[in-house]
Amino acid sequence: MALDNKPQDAPLFVPGSWDRPKAGKFIDAPEQGDTSTGRGNRPAANLLQRGVPGVITGKLDELAALARKNSLWTLTFGLACCAIEMMSTHMSHHDLDRFGVVTWPSPRQSDVMIVAGTVVKKMADPIRLLYEQMPDPKWVIAMGSCATNGGPYYRSYSVVMGVDHIIPVDVYIPGCPPRPEALMDGLIKLQEKIQRDAKEGPNAKPPVIAQAEVPQEGLVEPDSTDNAGEDDGTGQTS
Amino acid sequence: MTEQDKPVSEPEGSAPEGAADETPQVEALASARPARRAPPHEEEAPPEVLNSRGQTTLGLLMRVADPYVLAHGGRDDIPWIETRAQSLIEVARRCRDHRDLDLKMLHCLLVVDYTEHLQAVYVLLSPVKGTRAILKVNVPADEPKVPSLTGLWRAADWYEREMHDLFGMEFEGHPNLSPLILYEGFEGYPGLKSFPFNDYNEF
Amino acid sequence: MTTHPELETVDMMLNMGPQHPSTHGVFRMVLWIDGERIVDMEPHIGYLHRGSEKLCEGESYGQVVTLFDRLDYVSNFNNEQVFCRAVERLMDIEVPERAMYIRTILCELNRVASHLLFLGTYALDAGAMTPVLYAFRERERIQNLYEAVSGARMMHNFIRIGGIKEEVPADFVPRVRQLLGELRRGVEECDNLLTFNEVFLARTRGVGVIDSDTAVSYGLTGPCLRASGLAYDVRKDHPYEIYPNISFTVPVGEYGDCWDRYWVRVQEAYQSLNIVEQCLGQMTEGPIMPQMRRIARPPKGEVYVHGENPRGDIGVYLVSDGTDKPYRLKVRPPSYCNLTALRHMMKDAFIADAVVILGSLDIVLGEVDR
Repeated sequence: MALDNKPQDAPLFVPGSWDRPKAGKFIDAPEQGDTSTGRGNRPAANLLQRGVPGVITGKLDELAALARKNSLWTLTFGLACCAIEMMSTHMSHHDLDRFGVVTWPSPRQSDVMIVAGTVVKKMADPIRLLYEQMPDPKWVIAMGSCATNGGPYYRSYSVVMGVDHIIPVDVYIPGCPPRPEALMDGLIKLQEKIQRDAKEGPNAKPPVIAQAEVPQEGLVEPDSTDNAGEDDGTGQTS
Repeated sequence: MTEQDKPVSEPEGSAPEGAADETPQVEALASARPARRAPPHEEEAPPEVLNSRGQTTLGLLMRVADPYVLAHGGRDDIPWIETRAQSLIEVARRCRDHRDLDLKMLHCLLVVDYTEHLQAVYVLLSPVKGTRAILKVNVPADEPKVPSLTGLWRAADWYEREMHDLFGMEFEGHPNLSPLILYEGFEGYPGLKSFPFNDYNEF
Repeated sequence: MTTHPELETVDMMLNMGPQHPSTHGVFRMVLWIDGERIVDMEPHIGYLHRGSEKLCEGESYGQVVTLFDRLDYVSNFNNEQVFCRAVERLMDIEVPERAMYIRTILCELNRVASHLLFLGTYALDAGAMTPVLYAFRERERIQNLYEAVSGARMMHNFIRIGGIKEEVPADFVPRVRQLLGELRRGVEECDNLLTFNEVFLARTRGVGVIDSDTAVSYGLTGPCLRASGLAYDVRKDHPYEIYPNISFTVPVGEYGDCWDRYWVRVQEAYQSLNIVEQCLGQMTEGPIMPQMRRIARPPKGEVYVHGENPRGDIGVYLVSDGTDKPYRLKVRPPSYCNLTALRHMMKDAFIADAVVILGSLDIVLGEVDR
């Protein structure tokens, strides 16, 4: 189930139905390091595209993307330890202001939500609320291993195993906590994603980054209904 | 099914038969605690010894809480005494108000789950005199009720709320035992040993 | 309490929700306000409750150190140290002297780093945007040293049961000496910017006052208690490791207001630098870890140790049943106990003061919620 970008019939987000890479597949970008891009938000179709669908608005979109990616305003949303590294990244040594990134306290006026820290079940509702308060186009960066998949608290009774159970994520940054350079790398990847998405249009398929060949023995056997070994990039099951 | 059915509350160090925690079954993981590796031979436990300062404090404590002491012990300079739940407030008040003990600060309050009974442990401290002491109260697990110490120390308020959240310990006389650190509607008491360990529901 | 009691007013409820810009983590305050004055206040925590204590019961003692790192995520070494001290006490292990000195150096530098963070974010709460940049620049220096020593800027997992993980790099001592000089200048710079700044004084003097008796009843410890006039410091009153050999003074405040809490922390940062210098002078060669089993199995017993975190007394109550995993591990977090006094401090304060008072307590939600 991909998020269609028609705002009038955008499906309600159902937790658990968000596709994730299947067992045995490894979506990796080996030449670019550790961060991996997931599928997430694309900017909704703009007025021109909605009003006159089919008209190619490529260059205008790319210009808009250029402007958007160079002035990403992040929501001040530090949950736990990763917040300290996020603060360090914003400060004078690894300056994020040179990327145009400014932390903005209000969700109504921010573009990116960097979920830095452990997502606890009690906090899941506020996170969802904040995400929905952010206007389109918006992106989400899951910073740290807690936000990616629960991290060191993977057996805990009160931790959500990754923020992508609640909101769609664009960029995952592993680390505990990720270095400021890793966060910057993730932001740069997000900027590339924004540019790429604008180039390909709102309804294009997500890109296929290099697939690593993983030896199949020792792994859980995929179901016969899975299209294991055959990837059309959408990752949809049957 | 491997021999994973070791009772979860076993505090003894005896090795279960075939304690294999290298190849757990998936079903066992969902409900059983991870198996504990027992020591290969009995370790000589160094006795819990009180040093001289601890002995003095213990002597004071025993005198102050005279008719209510059920058991005592301690390590280094922190002695502990055990009382009944009914006499807790009286003992705590005496400890707090005694001139030499002067245990004015409730440093920590915790509950330990020993399956058949719960033990409430109160760590008291004197910032001025430097004495430290521990009070222990054992209550049966099916009726965990302890009087609340919010009248004596304001710090007890949140400590008791948290212990109620995690262990289900009832503190009689507490003004407001609403959930503090768990979300509203959390079922069960996660601190208890009987709470499933690996069982989380993906949100 | 209104200034015009004859006016009929309605108290408004203001929610300073789990996400707000004066963020010390995810903490929610519900304020009932009458005009600009706070009539009542209710704190809500638990938005970062990760179940660390329960998780500790399923992990071996060596693995618990990593969980302790993440409790008070600004002062990692102090947390690791108090836990390792608890296990060492149970197992009756004697930590080699060199390891104790290195532990103390790292912990005191962590105290400086934590107070720098406090300084920066507190100034940011009060509205000053510059000191935070300076404070983080100094923190970078300390974190570079930590990276050279342990491999990580923040979650070090370096202080292990029995000693420390591995020997420090060869240039540790000259590097720390140079760092001390740089840090003294750095802390002084931030100090000069803020401490006797008129605007800062106006915002923090006389705000959030708490007297020492009430503070003790609330379980306040650390700089918050010392600011109220009580000279209680675990390093002095119940000294551990090599603190008996070190001489330093404990700064004590006078009124118990926000400015005193800030001032005590800045003075503590200076004192920590003195402590590090003394440790460097007294440190000798030697082993860093005694001969002991790889998997720690403390005998059955219980122990309670507490140490001086930058935020107060962090206590660890460890119940062991003889196996390689703890039976019950309870952390007494200083910020949790300091937070109980927040309601008292906020009586009749302005809304703007609410942020300043919260900042002066210097809470870290990782340890409040565990």
